[in-house]
Amino acid sequence: MIQSSLESLPPGKRAKIVGYMKGGGWTYRLYQMGLTPGAVIEVVANYGKGPIIVRVMGVEIAIGRGIARRIIVEPL
Amino acid sequence: MKKYIEVAVLGQPNVGKSTLFNILTGKKVRVANWPGVTVEIHEGERIHRGHVIKFVDLPGIYGFSTTTIEERIARKYILSRQPDVVLVLVDGLNPERTMYLLIQTLEITPNVVVAITKYDVVHAHGIHINYKALEHKLGVPVIPVSATSMQGIMHLLDVIIDVAEGRKGRRDLLEVDYKELNVFIESVMEVLEKLDTSKIGFPKRWMAIRLLEGDPEIEGIVKRTLGEEALNEIINIREEIKRIYKRDPAELFSSRRFEYINELLKGIIIRASVEAKHKFITKYFYHPVAGPLISTSILLAVFIFAFTINTGFPFDIILEELGYHEIAVALEEYSIGGLMEKGFSILSGFLYKIMGESMSSHLLIDGIIGGVGAVLAFLPLIMVISLMLAILEDSGLAPRIAVGLHSLLNKIGVSGHAVFPIILGFGCNVPSIMATRAIPSLRERMRLIMTLPFIPCQARLVVILAFASALKGLNGALLILYGYVLAFIVFAIINRLLYEYDKKKGVVVEPDILLELPPIHKPILRVIWWHVWDSAKHFLIKAGTIIFVLSILIWFMTSYTPELTYTDDVSNSIAAGIAKVFAPILSPLNMSENVGWIIAFALLMGFIAKEAVVGSLTILTEANSAREAIRLLGLIDSQIAAITVFTILYVPCLATLAVIYFESRSWKVALLTILIMMSVAYIGMLITYFLSLII
Repeated sequence: MIQSSLESLPPGKRAKIVGYMKGGGWTYRLYQMGLTPGAVIEVVANYGKGPIIVRVMGVEIAIGRGIARRIIVEPL
Repeated sequence: MKKYIEVAVLGQPNVGKSTLFNILTGKKVRVANWPGVTVEIHEGERIHRGHVIKFVDLPGIYGFSTTTIEERIARKYILSRQPDVVLVLVDGLNPERTMYLLIQTLEITPNVVVAITKYDVVHAHGIHINYKALEHKLGVPVIPVSATSMQGIMHLLDVIIDVAEGRKGRRDLLEVDYKELNVFIESVMEVLEKLDTSKIGFPKRWMAIRLLEGDPEIEGIVKRTLGEEALNEIINIREEIKRIYKRDPAELFSSRRFEYINELLKGIIIRASVEAKHKFITKYFYHPVAGPLISTSILLAVFIFAFTINTGFPFDIILEELGYHEIAVALEEYSIGGLMEKGFSILSGFLYKIMGESMSSHLLIDGIIGGVGAVLAFLPLIMVISLMLAILEDSGLAPRIAVGLHSLLNKIGVSGHAVFPIILGFGCNVPSIMATRAIPSLRERMRLIMTLPFIPCQARLVVILAFASALKGLNGALLILYGYVLAFIVFAIINRLLYEYDKKKGVVVEPDILLELPPIHKPILRVIWWHVWDSAKHFLIKAGTIIFVLSILIWFMTSYTPELTYTDDVSNSIAAGIAKVFAPILSPLNMSENVGWIIAFALLMGFIAKEAVVGSLTILTEANSAREAIRLLGLIDSQIAAITVFTILYVPCLATLAVIYFESRSWKVALLTILIMMSVAYIGMLITYFLSLII
């Protein structure tokens, strides 16, 4: 089980959300948007700069790097 | 007997709420984003089978937490107003995620009707929903609807009446099974036992859940009513969950809710795998270099297009420079603005012919037609710009532009979320400032509230264009460009400075983005037209009320002396008396005394509504158009440029100021905004004046 942060996932990669690192006021909004632990996400775009685009429950969501850094995932 | 039914319309962002609201209410919509009134909600009525149904459009939200003000507004409305029916929209293309709001709604009210949107395209996406089974499981009516094909709309209205009159729907609140958390909910409910919920109007179980998730508003209520001890007891229960499960309780509750939805939808929703169409174009928006380029290009194209069909600008100037003088003149003359101007001048001439020279003809022609007409001439421009903005918004392009510009905006201390308010600001600063509510970071929001008034709204565009039209050839175009660029630079610099200030105080949260990107789709014509009509109506009402009254007032102040006798010489008028006090402020611009006070007076009137700057000038000079008025004043190019810059930056209009106060709830913020704008405008004016003298 290798865990990493969402920020480092390449485009096309699928991963399961494991948890969140502390800090930032965004966590509750992430939950509401379906990004709860256990949810499976797919990276749509990640250029190493600027927001990362993921697909979760069929919806595309843009996530800023600061937030993405705190999302711990387990690549599938 | 007619009966009045109140329906609150609720849905997550992008589920098609504004479209459905528009269809349900038709044209009878009261848009409440106008002077001072802080009604933040659209309302519309419809008569169906002898019942008057009032629809209330609540903000698009993800849930009932307190993450944004919009969530607080929505939950407060439902809990305190107790509407007869809450219509909850679930996205047919994305039912699992959007049901999250539905089940939370069912926890606070049983009077729910569910509309599954986008019925016409659900099948094409390989999604099959058993609506009857879903209805059975939820205990509330579930109606598939389509705003495009109008399927299900009549049935939905029938069912709303049925639920309002108690023939359908559930009686009790939904109790979501939170599994291992249920015992904790019960312990909190025991603490809340003594609480008289009839006064507060919040269901006890919901309060308990929210307390466990951490809800400052409800914690406040508990502290006020049951005391600190009870609150501490509840916080201890919350800490216990953390200890046992090593997880944030809010996370556990959210996970359980989605699990509940998944179990509920088992066998009800079947997804056939349909090959998702790859949208290569949208990917470029996310690219660090292409993204900002495409985004700015789109926004620029929107404005160039709007300018061209209204004023011929900038193609008239390009043609002129290339030597095609006749085509340039024709383009200008037959642009919408040129035609309107001609129309008003013919009308004034005609009225003078039949009415003769009298006080009433002066009031009507110079006062009302002069003042209101000078502003009304810009209606087509306003409609075209709203059309373009509505297309951006309804097509799903706007959020992509937000992503494309996010990194760029980071440099001035705001996030891509600021794109919506900024774009709206080009229309009107009032909705622009209200749109900051969706921004989760409070400090970022405050900084935007104070700086968004720098974005030149359409009223100021009217002024910019009027002044630009008085300049010859390329200079006019340069002034427009200069005005917008300067406004943007000022917006950026002040934002950055405020950001640095916040940073120093240590209250800064790095601006970040978290935004849903709905699929790109063809905008629905009816919705686009609704937006256009909305802003046209807003503009017409403003021209018919504020500008109309101001025009009469200005005419009166310029036609009467302080002793209240009629005068033909404006320099003896009340207006001159007042304005001459302020005129010295403008003395660096070296205007003659007669012109100086006229400009000062126009700027004073512009504080009430920016369009009044143009209206005042036409009334004071008895001109037929703004262009003529400015020519009559005999200003040199440098003075015109300086006054234009001052008008763009100097102060938010009254309506904007009221919104700044109501949104920030702080006089300090409102006064600080005026102070910042005034000083920036004055410096900008002086720099522009001396710079243009050198050039």
